[in-house]
Amino acid sequence: MKYKDYYATLEVERSATQDEIKRAYRKLARKYHPDVSKQADGEERFKEVGEAYEVLKDPEKRAAYDRMGSEWQNGQEFQPPPNWDEGFEFRGAGSQAGGYAGDEAGYQAGGEANLDDFFEAMFGRTRGAHQRQGAAAAMGGQDHHAKILIDLEEAYHGAQRGITLQMPVVDPQGHVTLESRTLNVTIPKGIRAGQHLRLAGQGSPGIGGGPPGDLYLEIAFREHPRFRVDGRDVSLDLPVAPWEAALGAQITVPTPDGSVEMTVPKGSQGGRRLRLKGKGIPGSQPGDLYVVLNIVLPPADTERAAAAYDVMRQAFNFDPRAHFYG
Amino acid sequence: MKESVTTYLEGQIVNEEMEFTLVELCRVSGASQDEVTLWVAEGAFEPQGARPEEWRFSGTALRRVRTAHRLAHDLEINPPGIALVLDLLDEIDSLRAHPRRTRSG
Repeated sequence: MKYKDYYATLEVERSATQDEIKRAYRKLARKYHPDVSKQADGEERFKEVGEAYEVLKDPEKRAAYDRMGSEWQNGQEFQPPPNWDEGFEFRGAGSQAGGYAGDEAGYQAGGEANLDDFFEAMFGRTRGAHQRQGAAAAMGGQDHHAKILIDLEEAYHGAQRGITLQMPVVDPQGHVTLESRTLNVTIPKGIRAGQHLRLAGQGSPGIGGGPPGDLYLEIAFREHPRFRVDGRDVSLDLPVAPWEAALGAQITVPTPDGSVEMTVPKGSQGGRRLRLKGKGIPGSQPGDLYVVLNIVLPPADTERAAAAYDVMRQAFNFDPRAHFYG
Repeated sequence: MKESVTTYLEGQIVNEEMEFTLVELCRVSGASQDEVTLWVAEGAFEPQGARPEEWRFSGTALRRVRTAHRLAHDLEINPPGIALVLDLLDEIDSLRAHPRRTRSG
């Protein structure tokens, strides 16, 4: 088991007041909240910060935690001293059933049970502040949620893939075990980021013959090096040479659906958006693909190239700042 | 750890053609009816229909309601704050999708 320095996680001194701890937590929670933060490890950090606050906000738990001493380093191999919790009484040490979806999928059923060794060994599974509401996977008929990342190309063509979801299940002896299930899911063509895919009957079973809940998969696109997505429209930056923009050109443009030939009209300025109608995400109203021209200047790194720029300067009576100063 | 495998599942896309009643939306999102009612009063959601029993939410509201629900619980944001955050998140999304358009006008 690894020691966790909750004070370091919250970036406070060990002598911090309860108010300072709360302030530090709020600040970091806002920074790393997965709905707000676009940092790749935002969700992980948010959980860590929540776990630290869970302990430090509670004077009883904080005192017990402090009693383990301050000489431990974050991540150091750690065994709690015997009777470390003697004389402390913790409230509400019940097990919370939640869900956790493995792989790249997010949380399921609102709860998150990543069964952290350290926290669990010290404080049992009493999660509050960062425990999402409405966990209770053991309750019947409940809808479940998970987030999955797909490639933009999968939205263009549709796909079939397996996703692995994990969720804690309470067995008849009252033990909590992680049960994982693999679902093979058809990703329908035309699905867009932010939409949910509803899998009927894949939530919790119903109680007393009631209907089972549904599983909702929230779709997000994996970051693409080339394409940006806005709803059903897709855009990409296309590098062009100054003469291609000025004189017009036929250019091969990659799309998520294969390459297409496109005409760059002559006299195009940098930043011009050319629309390829219907080449966005497919559907009954397909999106459009926007090609944004990005004029790239060749470097004047040879005498010949520099001379060419000089010829240009002489050929044009051109003032790019003609309307700049008003 | 037990493992069970099922066959390929066909899902239904929750899109703008789908509608939720207030009760359905709350069941699916985990938010309470009181919370959603307050968010509607702030203009964060605009269901069709006059009274809460008649409200019909577009399928696209699901993601926003879930975001609102998480933010309200994790960061203790009140309804006016939720309405503001949702608007700002939409704006950030659209800026991310068009990083150039804003600069070149």
